[in-house]
Amino acid sequence: MQALEVSGVTKTFGERRAVDGVSLAVNQGEILGLLGPNGSGKSTLMKIIVGILKPDAGAIQVLGNDATKDPTAVKRIVGFVPESPRLYEFLSGIEYLDFVADVHGLVPSAKHERISHFLKALDLEGRENELINGYSQGMKQKLAIIAGLLHRPQLLVMDEPLNSLDPRSARIVKDLIHKLRDDGVATIFSTHVLEIADAICDRIVIMDAGRVVEQGSTGDLKAKAGTPGSTLEEVFLKLTGTSDTREIVEALSH
Amino acid sequence: MRTAYELAVVLTKSQLRGYQRRRLMARIFGDPRIILVLDALFLVVPALLFYMLSGALPSGIEGSLRELEVEALAGIPTAIAFMVILFGVLSEISQAAESMSTDLVNWLPITPSEYVAGSTMSLTYTYSFMLSFLLGVSLGPALRFGMILVWGASALMAVLSLFIGACVVELLRSVTNRISSSFYKKSGRSGIFVRLALTIVVLVFVQLLFSGRIVVYLLQGIMLTVRVAWFVPVVWPSLAVLAGSQGNTLTFVSFAGMTFAFFLILFGLAVRLRAIYWVPIPVSIRLTNQAYHPLRRITILPGFGSAEAAIFRKDMRSLTRRREMTRFLAIPFVLVVSLSISLLPISGTAVPEGLGFFALIPLYVIPLTVFSAVVSMTSLGQEGSAVWNIYVAPITARQLLKAKILSALLLGLAFSVTMAIFLGVLLRIATAHIVLLVTLGIAIVLGQSAMGMYFGARFPDFREMIRSRFISVWGSLIGTFLCLLLAMLTALPILLSIYVRRIITYDFAIVTFAIGLILFFVGWKLAERQIRTLIQEIRV
Repeated sequence: MQALEVSGVTKTFGERRAVDGVSLAVNQGEILGLLGPNGSGKSTLMKIIVGILKPDAGAIQVLGNDATKDPTAVKRIVGFVPESPRLYEFLSGIEYLDFVADVHGLVPSAKHERISHFLKALDLEGRENELINGYSQGMKQKLAIIAGLLHRPQLLVMDEPLNSLDPRSARIVKDLIHKLRDDGVATIFSTHVLEIADAICDRIVIMDAGRVVEQGSTGDLKAKAGTPGSTLEEVFLKLTGTSDTREIVEALSH
Repeated sequence: MRTAYELAVVLTKSQLRGYQRRRLMARIFGDPRIILVLDALFLVVPALLFYMLSGALPSGIEGSLRELEVEALAGIPTAIAFMVILFGVLSEISQAAESMSTDLVNWLPITPSEYVAGSTMSLTYTYSFMLSFLLGVSLGPALRFGMILVWGASALMAVLSLFIGACVVELLRSVTNRISSSFYKKSGRSGIFVRLALTIVVLVFVQLLFSGRIVVYLLQGIMLTVRVAWFVPVVWPSLAVLAGSQGNTLTFVSFAGMTFAFFLILFGLAVRLRAIYWVPIPVSIRLTNQAYHPLRRITILPGFGSAEAAIFRKDMRSLTRRREMTRFLAIPFVLVVSLSISLLPISGTAVPEGLGFFALIPLYVIPLTVFSAVVSMTSLGQEGSAVWNIYVAPITARQLLKAKILSALLLGLAFSVTMAIFLGVLLRIATAHIVLLVTLGIAIVLGQSAMGMYFGARFPDFREMIRSRFISVWGSLIGTFLCLLLAMLTALPILLSIYVRRIITYDFAIVTFAIGLILFFVGWKLAERQIRTLIQEIRV
């Protein structure tokens, strides 16, 4: 069974079509990188997958559950880390994680074990009793990542999760995603840092103007670029029509 | 100076646009020039009105009116300073904490003096309509009685007072930052409760100031104070006006000069404090030093799972910890104090049977309904931009409704019982009648909490602004109005029984309670359906 199957999903905001007939699939134990310029529809697609936006058309199946018909069932097995997460700033870090664990129905022993483990791994131990409004952006990001992982999701949807993280924590998160892949967890991962996508993703989907313009392994994409030894950045720029950046740089430097 | 001016324009736009939603309203009221239009209207219309009014009065009382006009003109500068300080403090209380440290001005190349000048100008300009109104009211009689020069002196000193008030607000902002930071670092959890208590005290104090009786008392007091407390700088502008009205130019110039010097000192002090406490960094408040031990699953009520309990606990913490939520907790205190002020003169006498109790019911029902409706109508919108946490959670509409309505019910019931006992003690009502009031209160809280949840889900406002509303303006108006109507319907059987039979009987209380229960179930069904629609798609 595929972890995720998206078919013909479309979403329009006013007159702007944010997602335009997107179809893709993610296998269990696969890491899918979602790349695309700003406004290409990546975040909207991720929100549709996790069931917080309703598609205008199309279907989403998460491990056999229909996300539009039974979003609650999907939310039980999906972990979501949004881009710039807004947390409950009046709670302490530990209260926030406790809240998330309770909402997912974790039993106290599992809650204690999982929360303590993640706090230690991501260097939040000792700061967990402080109110979140005093946390740095990176600390908030770490909390959001922990919150997305607490309930052992089968599908992980992460919208630029490494933003604001220090190199050590970023490395831990990357390694963790790899470890989860080994346990059969599927991950959709968006990023603007192409080196990261190149390093950790099994397959990449490139979106532009709400559409999937290309998908495949990094090797496939580089081969499709037509130039031997192309980097993922060159492939990306070519596919999204922004390859000729020299003129822009010239204009900006004057 | 140019930077300060430009900053003032930006801050004013930020103040004005923080409140507007609809495009047309935003276009009209989001333009700072609207304040100039309001200023002109507030000056000219009352001036014309009071000019005509003062001409229509019998000539025999002209002497007294002249005296009153002098007192009013002298009182305006002191009054305006107090008003700006109060509104400034209120605005400060309502501001969401996270919006303060990320202000653009904190990292732009703006000097403390430019910031204080810009912020003072913005504050002065924003509140100038209050000054225009007071000057407009006094202009009519001044023209009629040939006191235009005194009015001019009053206007001049009032403008200076407006700036003094704005400088005091700037000072308070810096001091508040400093005190909060030091206090929270040391106090932790107790600091949150102290801040909550202090905020409630300030809000009750403001309410007292706006009570008619207190204002009259204060106005009488101001003029007495002005004459006695000549050494207090805040009253110097008023003393200058009084001297001007008596033709004492030297005294007028002296007090005016001293006022200007006082303004400069305050401005310098505000700049100095701003320089020291430039960026209001949110302080890391450590709630406890104890290691983490998860609570056993709390099942408060049958059918109340861990998800509902988690949301309920979060909402309770929000109520006591968020600055912008404090005003909701303050509502019962404010209402009880206002009620006491209006009832105190008759507190010595017991309320008679029948019609006396009849008159008391609206006094009990209206504040209780407003409180219950407001608390439940805002409970969904208060999630703010963190509402995505609810959207990604595997919870159903019914679970969310259960969690949210429980906090509204508990707060409403606590208020209804406290208020019934308070009224009982204040008016020496028989215990049996207090029980009747409590029954009515429970029925109202049940009905209005569920109905309020419906309106909260139908018209939520998740935006975080300077003064977040948590429900749209229309939703709030329609919701409050309908909740008041339904509350009156709930109270109707008791009211009818008293009116018709002229005695207080208890059989109709059962009908009232039944109406409360019916409204609760109808409201529950409507709210559940509306929440189901709401959680289908995130709105922020």
